[in-house]
Amino acid sequence: MLSYIVFTLTLCAIYGLLALSLNLIWGGAGLVNLGLAGFFAVGAYASALATGAGAPVLLGWGAALAVGAVVGLLVTFATLRLRDDYLAIVTLGFAEVIRLVALNERWLTNGSDGISGIKAPLKAEFGTQNFALFYLGLVTLVLGLVWLLLRRLDLSPYGRALKAIREDQQLAAFAGKPVLRFKLQAFALSAAIAALAGALYAHFQSYISPDHFQPLITIYIFLAVTAGGVGRPSGAVLGAYAVVIFLEATRFMTEWVPGLQPVQLAAMREMLIGLALILVLHLKPQGILPEQIPKAPAPPASA
Amino acid sequence: MTQLLQALLNGVMTGALIAVPAIGFSAIFAVLRYPNFAIAAYATIGAFAAWWANVVLGLPIVAALAVAFAVTGVVGVAAEETALKRLRGNGALIVAIASIALNLVLENIVRFLFGNEMRGYDLPIARDLRFGDLRVGPQQLQSLLLSVVIMAAMFLFLRYTRFGKAMRAVADNPDLARLKGIDPAKIAIVTLFLGAGLTGVGGVLIGLDTSIDPLTGYRVLLSVFAAAVLGGLGSIPGAVAGALMLGIAEELALLAVPATYRTAVGFVAILLMLTFRPRGLLGERAA
Amino acid sequence: MTQLTIDRRRLLAGTAAFAGIAGLPGLALAQQSGPIRIGTLTPLTGSGGPYGPVMVKAVKAVVDEVNAAGGVLGRKIELISEDDQTNPEAGVRAARKMIDVDKVSAILGTWASSVTTAVAPLCWESKTFLATVSGADAITQLPHQGYLIRTQPNTTLQGKKFGEFCIAEKAKRVFFVSPQTPFVKSQFDNITAAVKAAGGETGSLVYDDKKPSYRTEVDEALRFKPDAIVFGGYTPDTAVMLKDVYRAGFSGLKVAFGYSVNQKLIESVPAEVVDKTYTISPSPAEGSKAYERLVKLIGVASPDPYTTQIYDQINLVLMAIAFAGDASGTAIKDAVRKVSQAQGGTKVDNAVDGLKAIAAKQPVDYDGASGPCDFDAIGDIIDSKFRYEQVQGGKLTLVKIA
Repeated sequence: MLSYIVFTLTLCAIYGLLALSLNLIWGGAGLVNLGLAGFFAVGAYASALATGAGAPVLLGWGAALAVGAVVGLLVTFATLRLRDDYLAIVTLGFAEVIRLVALNERWLTNGSDGISGIKAPLKAEFGTQNFALFYLGLVTLVLGLVWLLLRRLDLSPYGRALKAIREDQQLAAFAGKPVLRFKLQAFALSAAIAALAGALYAHFQSYISPDHFQPLITIYIFLAVTAGGVGRPSGAVLGAYAVVIFLEATRFMTEWVPGLQPVQLAAMREMLIGLALILVLHLKPQGILPEQIPKAPAPPASA
Repeated sequence: MTQLLQALLNGVMTGALIAVPAIGFSAIFAVLRYPNFAIAAYATIGAFAAWWANVVLGLPIVAALAVAFAVTGVVGVAAEETALKRLRGNGALIVAIASIALNLVLENIVRFLFGNEMRGYDLPIARDLRFGDLRVGPQQLQSLLLSVVIMAAMFLFLRYTRFGKAMRAVADNPDLARLKGIDPAKIAIVTLFLGAGLTGVGGVLIGLDTSIDPLTGYRVLLSVFAAAVLGGLGSIPGAVAGALMLGIAEELALLAVPATYRTAVGFVAILLMLTFRPRGLLGERAA
Repeated sequence: MTQLTIDRRRLLAGTAAFAGIAGLPGLALAQQSGPIRIGTLTPLTGSGGPYGPVMVKAVKAVVDEVNAAGGVLGRKIELISEDDQTNPEAGVRAARKMIDVDKVSAILGTWASSVTTAVAPLCWESKTFLATVSGADAITQLPHQGYLIRTQPNTTLQGKKFGEFCIAEKAKRVFFVSPQTPFVKSQFDNITAAVKAAGGETGSLVYDDKKPSYRTEVDEALRFKPDAIVFGGYTPDTAVMLKDVYRAGFSGLKVAFGYSVNQKLIESVPAEVVDKTYTISPSPAEGSKAYERLVKLIGVASPDPYTTQIYDQINLVLMAIAFAGDASGTAIKDAVRKVSQAQGGTKVDNAVDGLKAIAAKQPVDYDGASGPCDFDAIGDIIDSKFRYEQVQGGKLTLVKIA
């Protein structure tokens, strides 16, 4: 039981990082990134390959951050002129391309076999049980640090400028904000955080494969950020914990719904996740922890 | 040369499959201005509705297509009214995200009711017709014909009927349309019915060539998006043109790129198109 | 649409109900008394969805039968079924829950190779037994310390059979089409080795498994002028591929895995598309009753290889527990080969008979529905016969077992 809780909390923290990444780009700059799973994958593979080639784990994580940021910049450059709805679709396609590359470039990624035996830092020294605790502490610490950083950013003039861009690009540009540079920076930082989450996941599980990075995880993170409150780092983290705990709690439902086939129970679990997201959007559109700064007057509800 | 021509033909036939759901997607986008991810589930629901009509009730496939259109249309309207409508005021992105969740719910309702097993229609399959070294599928030609007919019908409907004109008015400017006495809520319902219904019909066509299971629509979701984006979001003729372009690009690329990268080809095509024409091939005015 | 509202209402009630309960799932007792818990981790959603549900059904049928006959070691068997969503990330979460909360002795039926590879370390670290149907050769080479067995023949065993079969059917030019799987390359290499040994030629094409049509892919395959096409995919993509191969007018030999051209696929495509296609599946020797027994038990006419395999896995695990007199994963690991392949043991083909024999202190040698189920040191099956079946008039007809 304890190891289950430790495991779940570790996963919460990793999802928390992903939620912070999405919150920065979506809540901060108002850009939609449906390719979150792609950046998650990029980081996981970068660190797995770097440490596989003999680099120490910390260097692997550094590599994940760097590669994530670079790929983030590339994606932003390719999509800068796009409207939101186009951006959503293009980033979704991006994640699929990353998955295809991981699947097919066997020489680099070992293809659909995936990479197993990824270095788990200090696991030999700690033993399986203590390693789990150690890693939980480590991941939670990283989450805490990133959260602190983003919270400061959020409340800084830089964060306010970002939100100005989110609310009205033209106006922000008028006010002399370098919109393009801000967007690039925000996207790169966001991608780097998602990549870091991927690296932490890879060394936690010691195994990654293209199957890990299906779009479902992106949906979970959107659920987390919406539930927690778009535009506020604390909300994103809280939302991530809520989502993972909710995902796990739905398992125990199976014991309380008699007379259904296993496939029907599995279908109900996924339905619940979808329903939860729809309900949160309806009942608490601002999330559990609403954004702190006073919002600019909402644009007329045209569409 | 034959190879090239054959790949072109193949592209047109593959594209025809994607065209109908792409029309549905674009119609919804044109009026409601959000990308509806639930079209994957609508295509699946259409495929299942037609299966039920065709295999369980024994209706011919044409009647089954009509059943698919009606059932999916009703589901689309009901889902929109219960799950998405109230979110429209929060912006297109929120509705889009909610539609992803809606898709998950609908897909799993299908799974709950029918399970994951594959199903197929009670319809014979025809060998390709051969013209010299080239071959074309008669059923694929029918799909192509059907999508052209649907496109033309939609086009005429939008251009010449009162309702169609009202739809275009709402698409252009909802506030102005309201001033003119058009009820946007009513228009939204009709649009949803048409859009979801057509996506359902597209699901049947895809089901005919593939198989019917809860993921039938999901598998082609990215292709439908790619087609709609290539053609220009919100443009009906654009959806058809985009689907054909996507089909041709994918099949032609196979002559040079490994077949496993077909989805990536579509993605690159989108990026290229958007770099030069940010609103797609036949995209409308800038937003 | 009432359907949706009803479902939603019921779901809401469900959510409210278990929100309160989820806090106290620690009801699992130690594995020394109370029921013996066995987990299945099969794909119920996602791309493996067509396979998982009937696999669970087979396990459930065996568990019910054994429970009706008094259980194992005087204890009832309790079955926990989780969904791996055909996704290793979700699979690991499900496995952790079964291992840590339910304290299952064994996990059966992991399907996708990625899920098996992700879940295996959890199993050996927690001393939980894992039985899988995954095909990637690398799986049994993981450092699993004996906690893993695989009932799926590896690619060396299978690829060779496909190649030899094509040659035996007078096909000299063999083309292999497959989506990207962990075994696509080794499968093709083994087919090629067998075909080349007889002076033939091979070609291959790896395709994207989500596409609604494969016309140009088929054109490329046919340019090779094959006498035989071997299909390496799963049911949804193989259905599309078979249709396009038919449309293109191919009339040569078609050979597929038993798990892809299964009864469901045959029923869902027009008869002429799949007629005369051969399938190859692992099989017990002729005369074994396990296969017919399974057919009767679950009421499925031609259960596919994954179903026959998980049926064997549950039988083996239950007998191993009885043999060891202990329900721990370690006990199963140590005892499994003593019930699967005891020298001169009584041949049994189901757990109920096996448990009786074990109670009577007889050595047993299980011959299952998927094969003789004898394992080497790393958990691979040693040898397997194969069932060669052909689709005739919409039904799989047994051609030979060899």
